[in-house]
Amino acid sequence: MTLTVKLYGVFRIGRFKEKQLEFADGVCIDEVVEHLQLNRQLLGIILINDKHANITSTLADGDTLALLPILEGG
Amino acid sequence: MQILTTDPVKEPSRILYRRCVLDLQSGEQTFNDVPCSNLEDVLGGFGRSFQQLAKRPLGEAYCDENPLIINTGLLTGSTAMTGMRTYFSAYSPLKQSLKGLPAAIWSAGSGKFGAKFKWTGLDELILENRSDKPVYLVIRPTEQGPQIDVKPAEHLCGLTTHEKIMELQQHYEDAHFAAIGPAGENWQQVLMGSIALSTENQLRSGEDKQRFAGRGGMGSMMGYKNVLALVAQAPDQKKPLSEAVKKVNTNVVKGGGAARLQPIKRGGGGGTWAAYDVLQPFHAVPVNNFRPQGNDLPERMLRENVDKDYDLESSACWRCGITCHNYVYEKKPDGSRGEFLSKFDYEPLNLLSTNIGIHDPGQGARLIQACDLMGMDAISLGVTLSYLLAWNERHPDKPLFDGVGFGDYEKIRELILATGKGSCPDIGSGSMRLSQKTGETDYAYHVKGLEIAAYQPETNPGYIWAIAGGHMTMGTYGMLIREGKTDFDSWVDAITRDKLQIVGFDMIGLCKFFDITKGIGTQMVVDCLKSDFNLEVTEEDLRAAVHRAFILGLIMEKQQGYTEAEYALPAEVAKIPNPHIKIPDISNLAYIEQLSQRVWAVFKPEMETVAKELGLK
Repeated sequence: MTLTVKLYGVFRIGRFKEKQLEFADGVCIDEVVEHLQLNRQLLGIILINDKHANITSTLADGDTLALLPILEGG
Repeated sequence: MQILTTDPVKEPSRILYRRCVLDLQSGEQTFNDVPCSNLEDVLGGFGRSFQQLAKRPLGEAYCDENPLIINTGLLTGSTAMTGMRTYFSAYSPLKQSLKGLPAAIWSAGSGKFGAKFKWTGLDELILENRSDKPVYLVIRPTEQGPQIDVKPAEHLCGLTTHEKIMELQQHYEDAHFAAIGPAGENWQQVLMGSIALSTENQLRSGEDKQRFAGRGGMGSMMGYKNVLALVAQAPDQKKPLSEAVKKVNTNVVKGGGAARLQPIKRGGGGGTWAAYDVLQPFHAVPVNNFRPQGNDLPERMLRENVDKDYDLESSACWRCGITCHNYVYEKKPDGSRGEFLSKFDYEPLNLLSTNIGIHDPGQGARLIQACDLMGMDAISLGVTLSYLLAWNERHPDKPLFDGVGFGDYEKIRELILATGKGSCPDIGSGSMRLSQKTGETDYAYHVKGLEIAAYQPETNPGYIWAIAGGHMTMGTYGMLIREGKTDFDSWVDAITRDKLQIVGFDMIGLCKFFDITKGIGTQMVVDCLKSDFNLEVTEEDLRAAVHRAFILGLIMEKQQGYTEAEYALPAEVAKIPNPHIKIPDISNLAYIEQLSQRVWAVFKPEMETVAKELGLK
């Protein structure tokens, strides 16, 4: 299945801003994070089609997945 | 401090802090070892100062009866990572109720002044009355205990914050400094004066790399009292690092909370600046007086874009392993480092650039630098400026300050310098007073008289109950963006229980980056207190003390005339909802009303209980 993956902030370094990627049906976000080798300590916000999701959420064909770093303020 | 017990909860009076009360009018200094009344007293910071201020309600800030309380926390100057904080507390010249009564406030700053202050042997200095002439104070240890020398300071008048520190450095070895700028000296026209605290980086490089205790006009209070600077001169105390604290420090540096602050080249998130990256997808980066436009304007200040033309350096405070600063330098044509411009932290960066229509990083840096050198709070200054620019945009027929507009860098810079020198009291007095004068208050972005931080109020109803700086005394500012939660249970829980715990750092002497999500009620802090002081406390003890200190803050607001109607977000937020911000709506009046009812249902009984315990009305 095809997902649109959007990366933000430091996650873009050495990767991309937005890309369409192919994954097996029913892939979960954890697997996508693993595939992209993102620093999990920095992973803050996960959005599927602009709605908040969590690391165990599964994805469907055509979903847009956004992965953003932590927001803590200062 | 004298610690004669292992149980600060049951036997707080067996812990005594060394206090000096200095009467600036008579010159009399009174030193006492004061027994603590409760765990809040033991921890220090505002936990102690607010208990003193609560007994001295005042009608105005600029009066001799308003003490300026300078203290540290129990872990300031300790081996615990980030243990560097100094606190300044008083009734604020800036934040006041609609009844016209000043609110009690504190402001915190890093750098090395706090540790040096602690190492003089003094835990707290209270400045009473005011000096007839400009003075600076030198605090140093002697065989008889800490001593304070009052020195004439005419030669420091008019100098910037950095110039004052550099001047004093020439005369005092092994010292660090706290100084006000021209803004604080012009306290009558500038209510938002800040206090600069020197850093090792600054003293070694000669560059203006000071830190600030910015919020609430404590620099203006220092200026009112005619104290232009403080010198804390003491040798460093190099205590051996215990295994327990070493383990804590490793957790702090390598833990998830600090990871986002570490340099990008070390796999970190690159500091607080990264808030731009996270807020922009939601179109929640403040633009032009908190009215995001749903476009990519804020992206000009993303690090990846600034990096192209400027030299960036991540740095840390002395002895801290969290490189949370980002220094910005010019980049020369050959790619080498040029002139130092300023430090990019999210709040000053947004409020003195994107939110006032400035989208050039170099210009933003120069505005931050101007604010810092004049010695003003970047948040209050930036938000007051953005109000002024918004007025001019709405009223081209009735312009203020020559019609300065969003993005007008040259004019804005002139205004910042003029404000710091006392020539623009309408700006120096803050957004609440300026908007009251113009008669248009809806788009003045303050809550209870204190300007809000660089998080859209649409994302944070919690601002309403912050007892000092809006985002650092109620940790709900990222909650909606981060977690997407809109239900009342989550918000009531956060406001009344979990997220108020952030204020604990402003008691104990630690920077919030120690563990910003959990507060100080953690095993890490328990271990530090055991290791450094042989104190036995539980996480619950710490959380309870922080909770009580927070509730006291609410009691004091009520004492100073705040009504429930003043616990509200800026009116424009609900009256003209912004269609561009991509988040669920939790700032409409119906939501806020229901949230308020539930929050006050929790807080009010607690306020009655704490007031009774402390003997307050």
